[in-house]
Amino acid sequence: MARLVLQNLLRHPLRSLLTVGAVFIGVFLLCLLLSVVTALNAGVDAASSVRLMVQSSVSLFVALPISYQQRIAQVPGVESVVKWQWFGGYYQDQSNFFAQFAVDPEQQLEVYPELEVAPDVKQRFLARRNACIVGEQLLAQFADEWKVGGTIPLIGALFPHPDGPEVAWQFELAGTYRSTSGALDNRTLFFRWDYFEETTDLEEAGVFVLRVAPGADVSRIMAEIDGLYANGPQKVRTTTEKEFQRQFVTMLGAVPLFVTWIGGGALFAILLACVNTMLMAARQQRHDVGILKALGFTDGAAFRLMLAQSLVLCLLGGLLGVGLGKGTEAAFVTVLGTFFPGYVVTDQTVALGLGTALALGLVAGIVPAWTSARLDVVRALRGT
Amino acid sequence: MSQAMIQARGLTKRYQRGGETLVVLDGLDLEMSEGRFYALMGPSGSGKTTLLNLIGGLDRPDEGSLVVAGEELSGLDGAELAHWRARNIGFVFQGFNLIPVLSAYENVELPLKLTPLSRAERRKHAEYALELVGLKDRMHHRPRQLSGGQEQRVAIARAIATDPRVLLADEPTGDLDRKSADAVLELLGRLNREFHKTILMVTHDPHAAEHAGSVVHLDKGQLGRIEHNQPLAAGAS
Repeated sequence: MARLVLQNLLRHPLRSLLTVGAVFIGVFLLCLLLSVVTALNAGVDAASSVRLMVQSSVSLFVALPISYQQRIAQVPGVESVVKWQWFGGYYQDQSNFFAQFAVDPEQQLEVYPELEVAPDVKQRFLARRNACIVGEQLLAQFADEWKVGGTIPLIGALFPHPDGPEVAWQFELAGTYRSTSGALDNRTLFFRWDYFEETTDLEEAGVFVLRVAPGADVSRIMAEIDGLYANGPQKVRTTTEKEFQRQFVTMLGAVPLFVTWIGGGALFAILLACVNTMLMAARQQRHDVGILKALGFTDGAAFRLMLAQSLVLCLLGGLLGVGLGKGTEAAFVTVLGTFFPGYVVTDQTVALGLGTALALGLVAGIVPAWTSARLDVVRALRGT
Repeated sequence: MSQAMIQARGLTKRYQRGGETLVVLDGLDLEMSEGRFYALMGPSGSGKTTLLNLIGGLDRPDEGSLVVAGEELSGLDGAELAHWRARNIGFVFQGFNLIPVLSAYENVELPLKLTPLSRAERRKHAEYALELVGLKDRMHHRPRQLSGGQEQRVAIARAIATDPRVLLADEPTGDLDRKSADAVLELLGRLNREFHKTILMVTHDPHAAEHAGSVVHLDKGQLGRIEHNQPLAAGAS
């Protein structure tokens, strides 16, 4: 029967090819969209349970006085606090977008132990005021231009250099870091707060990130920090890292949902195309099925013959789609990794892609298969 | 004494057409001996093909009893009937009814896939059947690469591949020229004589009917006269 399945599919090669192509594109898009949604949620999923974020209760875009850092650090159970400020600069051209933050270097490495930095890199980062570290993937992107020990000139779009908006900030590249958790990507540049503060005279920070002691009562710490500034001058809101990361996904509004709906709609359209293909195939093979039944093949065999054709078409398309999704993963990260850090076609996405192809095959094939199984031999042979 | 291969008692088949009930077979009683070649003749609408379909288990009677190859067919469900058909019946159709996407060999091998034979045994049987019909050298040809006569001989090879007891042929020469038709009729005659197949052939052609041992006439769903071209064995009908 396998031969008959194959030969029937080759009977109309263009039709089979188009159907496989439709499923291929659909499953590829599904993998792509799911991976984008996974990337958007990566920070939320990988958030640490021992890190808290302190931000203005008004908005993430309202800065906090840096004097808060000391008082927050004195709250019992807080191990270390680091200031973060979004720099928002660009390298040579505004299209060279990547994230840059001014941070307290020592505290940054304490609060984020998953940030792996070689001892000599750490030494340089802590020793030089204008030093910076960059993620491995970011360095790989600019490998031809950036060298360890060299300088990275960044135009400060949000914080122009005091010598003029066209003057670049000069950061000395101390080396790279590797983040082993999805909470931080490998495409960010961190530079020292003291260099930032001395150049801008700014006494405000975007957020404070703090690490709590193991076993500490996180709820109490959050309430205590919020209570410190309940009466001003600037009220704060302390959240878990997971909640903080979720804010960014929420900022995208219904985008993940929208993306899911687009994917679902495309797949539904492809399902209709597959059903149409299989109904045509069943109609054209009606006579052949009649012959098979006359020879002694059962209704079940006729059912399997038709369903197998649908499954082969859809699974082939699914395999190709998943294969392309996995195959273009690295290229996607290179081109769009800045916007979707943590983009990865997970095993779960692969399984979902293949599962969708299987489901498409089953749904598209079930009605033609049922029709073939119920086919009256005499009428099929007579062609009525 | 020959045993009855086909026994019909009170066989009735009706069809609904345009709100009317059409009685195609009307309480038919019939007995056919094992190993004999029968031609079934009659005007259009007399019930020939319907009778053939009932005997082959492709259709079910509305009333009556039908025993073929020792099996009462009315007692079998769909799957049982399919299995019984695979073991006992070989079909030869007017339009050949070969699967166009399969080669001659693959067409002949198809019914053998319903048997417990190994791949090598299936190959042996299929090649033997094709050799018997004189088409072993064309076994890898697709049906459209064969002439009508050759296609029908492949269909006969397919019908005999599983060594069934009964061959049912519905106008097997209807689409063939005289020379090809004679070759097919000669082949059917040989299968009857040398391999003792019971053959029931529906035909309109008196020349084709001459190849049969007996000619059964149907008229308006009832049994007409029976002519014997060859003498019957003692006790046979």
